[in-house]
Amino acid sequence: MTEYAIEVERLTKRYGDLTAVNDISFKVRQGEVFALLGPNGAGKTTTVEIIETIRRPTSGKVHLLGMDVARDKRDIAPCIGVLPQGFSSFDRITVRETMQYYSRLFGHRKKVDIDALIALVNLEDKAKEQYATLSGGLKQRLGIAIALVNDPEIVFLDEPTTGLDPRARREVWEVLLGLKRAGKTVFLTTHYMEEAELLADTVAIISSGRIIAMGSPAHLIEDNADYLILTLQSVDEKALAIVGGMGLEPEHNDDGTIQLRVAHMDDIRKILNAMNNAGASFLGMDVRKPNLEQVFLKLTGEAPDDGVNGEKGAQ
Amino acid sequence: MNLRVVGANLVVSIKSFYREKTAMFFTIMFPILLILVFGTIFMDDDKLNFNLYLQDLDQTETSAEIAQALESTGKFNITRVDPAVDAAQYAKDNKVNLVLVIPGDYEKAYTQYLQFDDLSAFATLRYIYDPSSSSVSDKMQILDMVFARMNQGLSAMPPFIRTAEVSIHTRKYRFIEFFIPGIIAMAIMTESLFGTVNVNTELRQKGIIRKLSTTPITRADWILSNILHQIILAVISTTVMLVVSYAVFDISLNINAWLPVFIVLDVFSFVGIGMVLTRIVQEAQSASAAANAIMFPMMFLSGSFFPLEMMPDFLQAFARVLPLYYINEGLRAAMVFHDNLTAFIYAAIIGAFAAIVFMLGMMVTRWEEGK
Repeated sequence: MTEYAIEVERLTKRYGDLTAVNDISFKVRQGEVFALLGPNGAGKTTTVEIIETIRRPTSGKVHLLGMDVARDKRDIAPCIGVLPQGFSSFDRITVRETMQYYSRLFGHRKKVDIDALIALVNLEDKAKEQYATLSGGLKQRLGIAIALVNDPEIVFLDEPTTGLDPRARREVWEVLLGLKRAGKTVFLTTHYMEEAELLADTVAIISSGRIIAMGSPAHLIEDNADYLILTLQSVDEKALAIVGGMGLEPEHNDDGTIQLRVAHMDDIRKILNAMNNAGASFLGMDVRKPNLEQVFLKLTGEAPDDGVNGEKGAQ
Repeated sequence: MNLRVVGANLVVSIKSFYREKTAMFFTIMFPILLILVFGTIFMDDDKLNFNLYLQDLDQTETSAEIAQALESTGKFNITRVDPAVDAAQYAKDNKVNLVLVIPGDYEKAYTQYLQFDDLSAFATLRYIYDPSSSSVSDKMQILDMVFARMNQGLSAMPPFIRTAEVSIHTRKYRFIEFFIPGIIAMAIMTESLFGTVNVNTELRQKGIIRKLSTTPITRADWILSNILHQIILAVISTTVMLVVSYAVFDISLNINAWLPVFIVLDVFSFVGIGMVLTRIVQEAQSASAAANAIMFPMMFLSGSFFPLEMMPDFLQAFARVLPLYYINEGLRAAMVFHDNLTAFIYAAIIGAFAAIVFMLGMMVTRWEEGK
């Protein structure tokens, strides 16, 4: 058995003139949570669907647990669990029956406790409800439970939280953190930075069909955004003058705060000292490291699709 | 092929079907309603007993003989119309499609003709009728026959050309018995065609097929379970139709091994067509529109509801290219006419069609997103 759960070599997928995935290569270790991060249309779903055996590559090689996706589809199916993008199921079939159905498709070679899976995704109360009556978040959680019904070695989750409200999203994250703790190999696609940062061991950033950066979230931030962000609240004219005098260009936000990019902690100390000496005033301050979002913006020059974390307006 | 997987799929299909109450009701009840409605409408045809309105302006013993002659045929229930009223107005007011009027000089003309050998004497009986009524011409034909016989009697010459009826069927069949095999064939066609189109487009649009393609279920498992589901539905629906028909109309049909043979061939033919359709027409709404476009000509032109002989020649020729025609006529040959040879020939024709279209459907049904 190979050290890598997934090996992708020079994978390319074309639809006519459009190149959806352009010569990408990467490897996913056993037991790792790997996130493919990128905006809509970047090629995330095409990539993951080729790895899951739903689509066929135009060229390149993909191996899952040493098996070739183009040749060994039937041997691969029992080893993977898939939550496809926009997962949906039979409207009139209950949560428990749906689990039983998928469990029967895989046979009972591995004994999986359906009730334990339903409990894992917190759907005990809904076990007898028909699929059509579930809310979006509950449907996604059922989809995750179904992806686990064959006790797979690799779990694929294609945009598991897209379209969910923030609370439902957190509930899904709880389930995914449980998988991570259990040591499952998880392949995740998402366009939420927060999600990738919270869950992934390795993040690959994909843009226009190419992987433009890859590494742990901490490394990506370290390598691509080696600065600090200082936010000051309710600054007066004197303070602005001091900042300007130090050669910094403040960004003004709608809520009256200003943001400054500085290279070191020392710079922050200097700014604060200068303001103190000049008697300038401000009401509050915040210092933080940049997150994946800033890395993403720097690398791609485009804003990620985002509905929730509300920082888009702050840039 | 994996029977455990096929079974799991079948359970889901059947549960989905019976939990969708409205759809289930219409699938099972629609053919039943057709049988009840058409069976009742055409019940008159079977007993051939007409209401006849008779206005006798002569009011003599001789004119009364006409009424007696008509009554003795057993085909008419005679209602008398007051000689004082206007027959046409009476027919309009009472929505009567035919009033037979015996003229006031009937006895006089009769005496003239018979006793004085005046061969130029005659009596004109008038049919006051509504040409828009469909059964009125039958009624007038029967009256013509009765009067021809009476004329014959009056001329005192025995008829030279006589006729004798020899039915090619062992027994006279009723319209409802002709109708029921057609409805069975039609109901199974509709269920199989729409069942397949709906389930395939729905699963594709909802992305369930994408999920299934990452599990061990194969295309063959999926198609087999759909076929079994449709056969189960067809058997249930046929049973209900037959039970209702026997109970309500007291029909007498020949139920034998041909019935399941044609049911299965009907299912395979239209599941096959459904699979081909879903491949050609990807959008759910256009797919069911296309299914309608196939179903309606089939329903009306293949002789499901009425005998093909009623249609013009070119439509009869067209019917012979419709697969449903062979199922209709094959079922009738087996169930009504006890004609095993015809049933066999038609079963062979539709069997070949079913095999081709079903294999085509299997080939074009896509399981992967592919491309």
